[in-house]
Amino acid sequence: MRNELMTKFRSKAAIASLAAVAIGAGLFTAPAKAAPPVTITIWTFGDVIQRNLVAEYKALHPEVTLQIKKSDLDPLDGTNMVTACTSKTGPDIVATEVSYSGYWRSYPKCFQDLRQMKTTGEPTAGIPAGQSATDIAKNYLAWRWQQGVAFDGSVIGIPTDVGGLEVAYRSDLFKKAGLPTDRAAVAKLWPTWDAFIATGQKYNSKLTAAEKKAGTGFIDNAGTIYAAIMNQGTAKYYSNDGSETGKLIYATNPQVKLAWDTTIKATTAGIGTRIGQYTSDWNIGMNKGTFATILAPAWMMDYIKAQAPDTAGKWDIANMPGGGGNQGGTQLGIPSYAQNKQEAYDFLTWYLAPAQQLKVFKSYGLFPSASVLYSDPALVGFKDPFFNNAPVGQIYAAGVQKLKPIFEGKLQRAIDTAIGAGLGRVAAKKQTPAKSWAQVLSDLNKVVNN
Amino acid sequence: MSLVNERERKNKPLSPWKPKKISANRSSKKAAAFPGVKSLNGRWGYICVTPFVVMFAVFGLAPVLYSVYISFFKWDPLGASTFVGVRNFNLLLHDSDLWLAVRNTFSIWALSTFPQMLMAIGLANVLRNTRLRGKSFFRTILLVPNITSVIAITIVFSQLFGRDFGIINDILGWAGLGHHIDFIEGVIPSHIQIATMITWRWIGYNTLIFLASMLAIPNELFESSSVDGATKWQQFRFVTLPQLKNTITFVLIVGTIGGLQVFAEPQQLAADGGSSKQFLTLTLFLYNQAFVNNKYGYAAAIGIFITFIVLIISAVNFVITRKISNDGTS
Repeated sequence: MRNELMTKFRSKAAIASLAAVAIGAGLFTAPAKAAPPVTITIWTFGDVIQRNLVAEYKALHPEVTLQIKKSDLDPLDGTNMVTACTSKTGPDIVATEVSYSGYWRSYPKCFQDLRQMKTTGEPTAGIPAGQSATDIAKNYLAWRWQQGVAFDGSVIGIPTDVGGLEVAYRSDLFKKAGLPTDRAAVAKLWPTWDAFIATGQKYNSKLTAAEKKAGTGFIDNAGTIYAAIMNQGTAKYYSNDGSETGKLIYATNPQVKLAWDTTIKATTAGIGTRIGQYTSDWNIGMNKGTFATILAPAWMMDYIKAQAPDTAGKWDIANMPGGGGNQGGTQLGIPSYAQNKQEAYDFLTWYLAPAQQLKVFKSYGLFPSASVLYSDPALVGFKDPFFNNAPVGQIYAAGVQKLKPIFEGKLQRAIDTAIGAGLGRVAAKKQTPAKSWAQVLSDLNKVVNN
Repeated sequence: MSLVNERERKNKPLSPWKPKKISANRSSKKAAAFPGVKSLNGRWGYICVTPFVVMFAVFGLAPVLYSVYISFFKWDPLGASTFVGVRNFNLLLHDSDLWLAVRNTFSIWALSTFPQMLMAIGLANVLRNTRLRGKSFFRTILLVPNITSVIAITIVFSQLFGRDFGIINDILGWAGLGHHIDFIEGVIPSHIQIATMITWRWIGYNTLIFLASMLAIPNELFESSSVDGATKWQQFRFVTLPQLKNTITFVLIVGTIGGLQVFAEPQQLAADGGSSKQFLTLTLFLYNQAFVNNKYGYAAAIGIFITFIVLIISAVNFVITRKISNDGTS
């Protein structure tokens, strides 16, 4: 109700200012193309919309004001968007994290189909006029683009970054444990996940008794292996049977069993420290060398730099076991009840164009989803001194290109949560793997059928 | 709810809103423009309460009625919904997670309410001391935790309670009371962690309430008791505490209502309420069913279940409060 009032108020204000501009233009014969001022509202989280690019767009389009609203409690803004869509209101642009892609692909009615939009054109930024989402799709990583496509084929979101997933390791600790330190040799240690676990056991066997007592281990959290393996497959919990929702296959998909069994194997082999990611223990452990490896998406590199500045140069990046990986990423879309769709689309196509994605990668470490950049020397040649001058651009680009599109369904988040809890119970030694899996199935049965 | 309705119905004949009065007012417009006390209670009274009633109807009553309605559906806010009768309630009462959530909620409530109340009364008694320096300073900073963001509190406390490098585990280790206690995976340890956050946030507020009611105790009572030779402890036990009875009931009621709504603290520790749902509270259970599992009808049924729990507790509170106030008058 309040929103409606606000929108009415805003549109009245817009009309008033339009009238003012028209009068002004008539009276003073102002510069020929004085575009009317417009405010684009954006619902986002974290740093999806980068501040210096906002300033850059403001210079390009002085008439456009970007009003950015970040949410905290549920950082992905799932609930607000449901409310907005049911009450037929909403911002001009909304950011949705990939874990919500499966949900929103069932509700294309809440989003503007971006195939029907055309760019106004931005000659100075190299964006031609009249481009729809279909025209720009070729610039992006195919499986990543697919995460913003609804079941009926309409494009409801354009990808910002792609997480990627590679192994960040401490070369100093590897050296101490008698393991190779060169990133090519390290990657050869673990062509498969079983080899990765074996390497972990070898590392752990070299630890002193005191280190073992302090909880030191090979990888920060063995539970992270699960999601990594899931993303290396071709299907997760759903198969595409052509229906709106897809068919649930979590209980029978061999990829789920492989990921679960391998993670359990790593957990029971004790290669992980059981420290939860993004806890204070994790931040401290990163500095103290409590763990030697992290499965790290590209955006995590900035986090490691910020949390453990004293470990500069000791880190390096090696290829993932099994080849390639992903964790995280976001789409920007335009809700169907947006007020300024054209202006929003113009901003979107500019903001997510390869040139801008490259700027974001260089300054914030978010890896571009624009695959045309993967052969660009500016990206491929990018080396990070913090990570021992590893060619991170090249490593992550190679990794994300190995992945295949995966059909995501409505309950993917809920299923991930239930399985994650199951792995947690085994890691905390609360349940045996068999009992925990049985509980996962009974929990999921409730999620699906209740 | 039904108790309130009962009382309202009984009161109705006393209401000055009668057809006779209205016609009288209509006949003399001046009297209506400058209403007497009686019509102020009547027509103007209704006008004055209108804003509240409208707001309550729109933001309080309507959502409640709406959630009662959707609890009978398999509800999809964006798609098709199907009527399922009492299926949601039937499933809910057989859902082990519900009873787990009830257990967790009451455990956290007990761990946060009772120690907090004792500490708040103790603190208020200290602050009441007239010889204490910097009283206003202490009274002011007591409220700081209350205006701090829950998210910030959770971040700081989860660092303090860290399993491997947390300061509380360090202290417990030095004292020989435990080593690397996992304040997230353990049932009681995780409840203690959440209860500590709640206590820290609300203790200042409750202290001020106790302090206010302590300052309202007539000084004569203390003077005459000291003439009778009462010690400080005896004064506290036999003068202060009995006078605080009503305040204790109030704090208990408010604490209970708050205790049933504990949400942000466990949600921030782990959004799913822990790997074995060891700190899944009722409201977190509701939230996750609605917004993670997309079961809006089921979540509405949980909401109604919570309402029944609140009604039962309110009835118990009502009985206790009446008993106390009767004791006071007799």
